[in-house]
Amino acid sequence: MQEVMNWSDEFLAGTFVIIKLFFISLVMVITWGLLGATAKLSNSRIARGIANGFTVLCRGTPEFLLLLIVYFGSAVTLTSIARAINPEIRFLDIPPFWAGAFAISLVIGAYATETFRGAFLGIDKGYIEAAKALGMTRFQVFWKLRVPMMWRLALPGFGNHLLSLLKDTALVSVIGVEGILFTAQQASSVNHKPFTMYLTVAFIFLALSTVIVVTMKCVEKYAYRHLEAAR
Amino acid sequence: MQNNPPIISLKNVHKYFGDFHALRNINLDVEEGQKIVVCGPSGSGKSTMIRCVNGLEQHDEGTIMVNGHTMSSDEKIGNLIRQEVGMVFQSFNLFPHMKVLDNLTMAQRMVRQKTKAEARDTGMKLLERVGIAAQADKFPSQLSGGQQQRVAIARALCMNPKVMLFDEPTSALDPEMISEVLDVMTELARDGMTMICVTHEMGFARSVADRIVFMDQGEIVETGEPETFFANPAHARTRAFLDQIISH
Repeated sequence: MQEVMNWSDEFLAGTFVIIKLFFISLVMVITWGLLGATAKLSNSRIARGIANGFTVLCRGTPEFLLLLIVYFGSAVTLTSIARAINPEIRFLDIPPFWAGAFAISLVIGAYATETFRGAFLGIDKGYIEAAKALGMTRFQVFWKLRVPMMWRLALPGFGNHLLSLLKDTALVSVIGVEGILFTAQQASSVNHKPFTMYLTVAFIFLALSTVIVVTMKCVEKYAYRHLEAAR
Repeated sequence: MQNNPPIISLKNVHKYFGDFHALRNINLDVEEGQKIVVCGPSGSGKSTMIRCVNGLEQHDEGTIMVNGHTMSSDEKIGNLIRQEVGMVFQSFNLFPHMKVLDNLTMAQRMVRQKTKAEARDTGMKLLERVGIAAQADKFPSQLSGGQQQRVAIARALCMNPKVMLFDEPTSALDPEMISEVLDVMTELARDGMTMICVTHEMGFARSVADRIVFMDQGEIVETGEPETFFANPAHARTRAFLDQIISH
């Protein structure tokens, strides 16, 4: 226990890092998911093609690998561009935190694309027609009806994605983001208590995922209050 | 009488669903203030016809004029027309996640750019008119079918439409709720609303309609005033249809 307490500040800081990573990725996940699902359901063949490519690529490769490719790929590209302008520069990269958030969001966003697409398809066409008949534009119908109806249908699947997203934040320690796994690695290399250190990490993840599960339960209850009321 | 151009005018309208010829050469003029009842067997194209009037379906040939605009696939023109044409559906289609009053205010605010207070004001007035102001803060699922359909009528009226389309508004209702909806519609007719109603409620047709349109297999078979239509149908198909629905 003392070993953990010795590193408590670092663990706490690491926890905040992954929480921040989680929320920033989450915003991107929702963006990719909405864009992807809308593209897949659109009439444009190009949009559908791009969205299909996105989901095939990002669901079909290990997230760990994608993370490395995004970070090192962007670093190599940026460095070579920078060197072309100024040969003095040795190395240039996207901050690992942002590269990590982006890479993770691509993977979970690809899954969210499919979840959102299914949910969009689950909306009864009658509601959309009713809104159209009232003179609402396609844009208004999308934001005022399709999205609010879609997210309710997407909730159960989306809850799973949130858990995956949280767990994927552990991966970013490999590119040097100082999350809790990074802390545990550092600590165990000093105090040689890897089991205790990694167990601590596990507990922190478990605590955070419990928060997500409970939150999702409340959100679902809120989302379906209009049906609850009828019983 | 013929000073004003008709508010709705369908000329040589055809509509296909794939190989299926859903509307065959439809011609229909509706003057302002007229009440038209459309009847006919299922699959005869009644719903398709009124859905073409507000552009929920795109017709393939012919012209449809509504309130001076020619319907086209251009969304802007479609919206312009739909803003002036209210529609009530068989399955109500109230937005389930919104409270009754919010169902009424949303389009007013988004399409008519009314303030929240104005929209709520109009909404409450119309809920009173259809007799369900007390349910304003409930969700649609807490209401009976008849109440939901009255809310749906109020929602359409909130936009202050020039024309109302009814697509079998009582077909999904339990028998004891049909009259409360028909009462609202009758009152609306009395107030001078231009209406096209697809319905099998022949009592309503007889008392309210200026003209009854009988459709079969995608075409208008017969049009007539209620008295002649019921007493003296010109076509055998009309007679067969009337025999069927009146024998029950």
